[in-house]
Amino acid sequence: AGILAAHKITASSPDTDLPTVSGLRKMGVNFTVSNKDTVKSSDVLFLAVKPPIIPFILEEVGPDIEARHIVVSCAAGVTISSIEKKLSTFCPTPKVIRCMTNTPVIVREGATVYATGTHADVEDGKLLEQLMASVGFCTEVEEDLIDAVTGLSGSGPAYAFTALDALADGGVKMGLPRRLAVRLGAQALLGAAKMLLESEQHPGQLKDNVCSPGGATIHALHFLESGGFRSLLINAVEASCIRTRELQHLADQEKISPAAIKKTLLDKVKLESPSLSVASVSKVSLFTNKSKKN
Amino acid sequence: ISAGGVALGAWLRGEMEASELWVGFVGAGRMAGGLVRGLLQAGKVPASNILASAPSDKNLEAWRELGCRTTHCNLEVVHRSTLVFLATKPHILPGVLEEIRPAVGSHHIVVSLVAGITIQTLQRLLPPWTKVLRIMPNLPCVVQAGAMVFSRGNNAGDEEATLLKSLLSSCGLCEEVPESYIDIHTGLSGSGVAYVYLFAEALAEGAVKMGMPGALASRIAAQTLLGAAKMLLETGEHPAKLRGDVCTPGGTTIYALHQLEKGALRATVMDAVEAATNRACDMAKD
Repeated sequence: AGILAAHKITASSPDTDLPTVSGLRKMGVNFTVSNKDTVKSSDVLFLAVKPPIIPFILEEVGPDIEARHIVVSCAAGVTISSIEKKLSTFCPTPKVIRCMTNTPVIVREGATVYATGTHADVEDGKLLEQLMASVGFCTEVEEDLIDAVTGLSGSGPAYAFTALDALADGGVKMGLPRRLAVRLGAQALLGAAKMLLESEQHPGQLKDNVCSPGGATIHALHFLESGGFRSLLINAVEASCIRTRELQHLADQEKISPAAIKKTLLDKVKLESPSLSVASVSKVSLFTNKSKKN
Repeated sequence: ISAGGVALGAWLRGEMEASELWVGFVGAGRMAGGLVRGLLQAGKVPASNILASAPSDKNLEAWRELGCRTTHCNLEVVHRSTLVFLATKPHILPGVLEEIRPAVGSHHIVVSLVAGITIQTLQRLLPPWTKVLRIMPNLPCVVQAGAMVFSRGNNAGDEEATLLKSLLSSCGLCEEVPESYIDIHTGLSGSGVAYVYLFAEALAEGAVKMGMPGALASRIAAQTLLGAAKMLLETGEHPAKLRGDVCTPGGTTIYALHQLEKGALRATVMDAVEAATNRACDMAKD
């Protein structure tokens, strides 16, 4: 998105063999195996490790956190208060922002929300917002809504991929080549989403606009309704949200000892994404958005 | 222009007194009763101008109580009326039409309420000059909140359509449509009234389950439907939008709606309308 120069970004991961690592390196991002180095060279710190790892990442880097740091956690289900509690042993007023984003940030069509912690200023939130708005939609919310956001737009792309796979199957069944079916299905959803975002109209109204009396679409919609399509989607969002809360609850209780998790995870289950941090020079005003997303 | 047409035109222009329009009903059952009550309540036609015929006296008593005239002779109705409503049971109609055919003139306007009898059939069984219209009302015409659609036959023109619309708008919504919509209207609104009664009953039962007395629950259920329908009609907003407006995040309504969606209520309702419409089509073919 051109909002930051790559050399201002530092990423760290214990495992250098990950494909994501070489990808980042190719983009010109500074890479290190030391989380501490990352913290030292950054002002804004994105914690992008798996949720159970957060507690002892915080233990590890806590001593290096200074007042200038903005700690942004993207970990699902990890509360601001849990992070603040951990960091407060090292730093009296840690700036913490919690955010929930989703995978389409990769194509700069992400959906991101954030909630600011006790010591994070309005300016800090706006800085994050400016960063994340360069890769999609970004808005501030109350922290207690983040689980719902996870259920909706966090998991949402998975629902869409599932739907697209099935739509493509439908196309193939009726005679389309697979590639074309996938392409058309994706474009249909993309176009519909764009129409909705750009329209004042209710999705129900937009749906009606497509349904000519006695036509093909209304016949198809009847099938969707018969299958409880709507309730399935409601169920999905609900399930994802509830599971997020469950995970958060488990994490809060720290049922499993951090040492045990670390050993288990590092030995057997490699971290899938390195921790990524962003180095910024100063505040919002220095950012120029050269090439925004189209 | 026929004598009846001139009279009609005059009536429409308000030059003629309402007392000069003569309305007849062949058949005096529930649907006819609903229409006539609506007509009378709207004050468009005095009761003394209305003549109804039926084979037995069973239904006619109620008409007399309204101030209408009654007879057992269908021909009399045709002789003494300009606007003739046909409201017999479907299997009786062909016989009745044969009976009244000799008396039907070009001044008559014949409006059939008979379910399943097409305009084509009506025109076949009546003289070729007859102005025929077909209407499908629904029961709430009785309380002037009906929904009616009508179509015109070959000889029925704008004046006849306007007359019908102006007379019956007093009973509720009255729209002209292509004849192919009439069966759909049956499925949507003719039978649709029953779907609403079912829904109202279920709402009340839910409330009773939660501890409310039945009579109160029923009244509230009915008022809820009435109020919601009124908002829908008066705001002109899309029902989905109105629904969204009621749903506060994480509130009671969205929880309830989720249950309705789980039960595939929408699809079931669509199935119902489809079933009734198809049945109407099938019955018309018999």
